[in-house]
Amino acid sequence: MAVRARTLEQARELYRTNWELVWWVFMRVSGLALIFLVFGHLFFNNIQVNAGDIDYDYVASRFSRSWVKVYDSFLLGLAMLHGVNGLRYSVEDYIKRPARRFWAKVGLFTAASVIFVLGVMTLWAFTYEEMGEAIRALPGG
Amino acid sequence: MYRGREGQWAFVLHRLSGVAIALYLLLHVVDISLVMYGPDGPFDRFLAFYHKWPFRIGLILVMAGVAYHALNGLRIIVMDFSSWGVRYQRILWYLVLSLTTLIGIPVLFKVVPEILAGS
Ligand code: HEM
Repeated sequence: MAVRARTLEQARELYRTNWELVWWVFMRVSGLALIFLVFGHLFFNNIQVNAGDIDYDYVASRFSRSWVKVYDSFLLGLAMLHGVNGLRYSVEDYIKRPARRFWAKVGLFTAASVIFVLGVMTLWAFTYEEMGEAIRALPGG
Repeated sequence: MYRGREGQWAFVLHRLSGVAIALYLLLHVVDISLVMYGPDGPFDRFLAFYHKWPFRIGLILVMAGVAYHALNGLRIIVMDFSSWGVRYQRILWYLVLSLTTLIGIPVLFKVVPEILAGS
């Protein structure tokens, strides 16, 4: 890759390729971190407790703990980037028409951004402490 | 050489499980966000619906997908960074499938009775 771009077209190609390399590395690094984050999450919420018992009180008791908020923030951020970039790979592979591909990506990124903001709000914009002491007596509380 | 052999099935399963987990994640963040409506909001009613057995089986599939995707992801990383990994990629794939099953069995023993007892 020693050849420098001579046209805008080539520059675009080079630019895109470098970003793809960044994403390639990111998918591997975030994947390794997500193995621990997601396995831990599944252990807390589906093995340690019966997922059929999960209700408002359970989630409020979890979100009243700071470490859960921090843990979930990493999970949310990394899983979103890893997952949405994975979905983008599928869009690039299976949607051939440029116009359709463009709009599919616009739709995907828009939906993902809205859902990401919703997730951050759930974790940080509300306090669940007022649920009181009773909540901490609950399983997983 | 590639088409129809283990490598292709490994890829197809990795794609399928990846897309399924990603779509689950998008839905999951939205459903958990319902707790923002507070204790008297729609969260518990919504979850009662989620606790029905078809969804519980869906959760088992999500967990199976996570286990396969994570282990096969490790296999991909090993193949990217060592010629050893490429040479033994077929054996590594069978190892991935075995470990997925091995993790899955105790999970089934834990979760299936819960589903049978509920709903
Ligand atoms: C399959 C069984 C699953 C169950 C029963 C479950 C349950 C829960 C519960 C109860 C919460 C809120 C409290 C807490 O975080 O402890 C939560 C939040 C979350 N879960 Fe899961 N989960 C499951 C799978 C997954 C998977 C596979 C992922 C990632 C790919 C995931 C990603 C998240 C994220 C990012 C949040 C935080 C959401 C937010 O920001 O509001 N979950 N989950």
